[in-house]
Amino acid sequence: MVSPVISARNLTKRYAQNVAVDNLSLEVESGQFFGLLGPNGSGKTTTIHMLSTLLKPSEGSILINGIDVSQNPREVRRQIGLVFQESALDRTLSVEENLLFCAGLHGLKKRQVKERISALLELFSLENKKSAPVASLSGGMRRSVDIIRGVLHQPKILFLDEPTVGLDIQSRRRIWRFIQRLIQDQSLTVILTTHYLEEATPCDITSFIKAGHIVSSGTPDSLIKEFAQTVVEVECDNPDMLLKRIDIPRSQIITDDSSSILIRVLDDKKPDLEKIQTTLSEGAMSFKVRKPNLNDVFLWLTNRREGQGT
Amino acid sequence: MIVALGVVISRELKKTFRQKSRLLASLVRPLIWLFVIGGGIGSILPSDSNSNYQQAIVPGILGMTLLFGSMLSALTTVYDKESGVMRMFIISPMSSYGIILSKLASSTIAGLVQVIGLLIILFTLRIVDVGQIHIPLFIFGLTCTALTCSTIGLITAVLSKSLDNFAAIMNFVIFPVFFLSGALYPIDNLPPVLHWVAVANPFSYGVDLIKHSITSVSVTPDFGKVPDIIVLFAFTVIGVTFSSWRFSQESTSAALVSILSKGRKS
Repeated sequence: MVSPVISARNLTKRYAQNVAVDNLSLEVESGQFFGLLGPNGSGKTTTIHMLSTLLKPSEGSILINGIDVSQNPREVRRQIGLVFQESALDRTLSVEENLLFCAGLHGLKKRQVKERISALLELFSLENKKSAPVASLSGGMRRSVDIIRGVLHQPKILFLDEPTVGLDIQSRRRIWRFIQRLIQDQSLTVILTTHYLEEATPCDITSFIKAGHIVSSGTPDSLIKEFAQTVVEVECDNPDMLLKRIDIPRSQIITDDSSSILIRVLDDKKPDLEKIQTTLSEGAMSFKVRKPNLNDVFLWLTNRREGQGT
Repeated sequence: MIVALGVVISRELKKTFRQKSRLLASLVRPLIWLFVIGGGIGSILPSDSNSNYQQAIVPGILGMTLLFGSMLSALTTVYDKESGVMRMFIISPMSSYGIILSKLASSTIAGLVQVIGLLIILFTLRIVDVGQIHIPLFIFGLTCTALTCSTIGLITAVLSKSLDNFAAIMNFVIFPVFFLSGALYPIDNLPPVLHWVAVANPFSYGVDLIKHSITSVSVTPDFGKVPDIIVLFAFTVIGVTFSSWRFSQESTSAALVSILSKGRKS
């Protein structure tokens, strides 16, 4: 049996007034690409901070590569790489100076990392930016340098907390191509949190977190299959009004905001599309029948109220 | 740890030399004090062929350069949210003790580099005569003062949640530390309350030790050499221990960790 490289049990993090993480347990196996997804304030960043030794859990235990995080946080930090939402780079120094500085903080000398820095810069197509000040780089390039910084000391596990937040779509795609190559080249275990759900599709396992605990977990495919066969998306101005006119069980309907209704179509309970269409023709702007994706699963899991099952 | 110390110091020096305007200010500021205050106040004092006010405040002005150089370096970088360096520190395998010690070393050196620049000007202008300086004691005094100033900066940094209000730090830390010391006037003549504040101010002892190393008649130390050294060492050791302890506390680290993520509620 393979022992998990990350094993967290009954994690709880309490702040003065609220509970950010509530009795959460998770396991990640070596080489896995693990996605931790959830809405803002659901506790995913707090969970990542606890797993990466930066915050102490109020309760519970964490083993990283067999090392107890609360016993030996510095040894754990040696074995993990961290890329957070906010860039951890000195804007006044050049790309190479930044990377050498970081390597130095890990106790690595210049000659030990020089080649690795060149190789990584090449992997991210940044070899010509070596001596450019970080302040002069575009947001996407800066993020790339941040990721290189995260893997410079050859960690076994890489934490990526919203690695593409605030970037335009092209930069996001580019960064993901690099990350994919990095994962293949370095055989890393990766823990990802992201707002862009499509970025989590290549994950081996995705776990959805809500109000501090994991509400659902599995491969993206299995979660999508479990959610629905197909989805009917109705675009409209006033979902609440339209909802009163259709007699579909509430558990099959998801409203995300004030502009659309999603109807889950499960194998056995096919709704009468024509009927829906005629009942809703007044007020609805468009009907779309499509395959479900992780975004739908996310909306369903995070918007449903307690006790409102499948 | 040695490698880490090396990169922290070399980064600090790179920054000191790269920020030309700040480096220039660190040289011009003490010269203005020396010529404007030294000359101005000196002109209203009874002229005495043996003593000279400008000469008398040279140790205080050297102390001021260290205060600004070392203290600001220790102060700003520890909580420097803009530069992102703090983020690199807290995710590295360094202990909080190691982070504080490397900051202590790098800001002490940054202050000393600035004081060397000032000394070159003072020697060239013949304001200070090398013959009147006890060199080993002078170097020792400057180093101890720089360590003390860095420690004051570290303590301020670990006690303040953010350094957004730089003016407040100037008004409530730097100015009192400078004015309520023996930098500009002998402590003995101060009114009782100010006298006791100056005696409690570790910076006074740094300036005093520098005074001991200059054998000019204008310079009169307030305390003995040995008490100076004991106070400076004790303050640095206690201050650094306190800063490291405070830095490792959850309340401090949680605030630091929150700078890693956008809009995270604490």
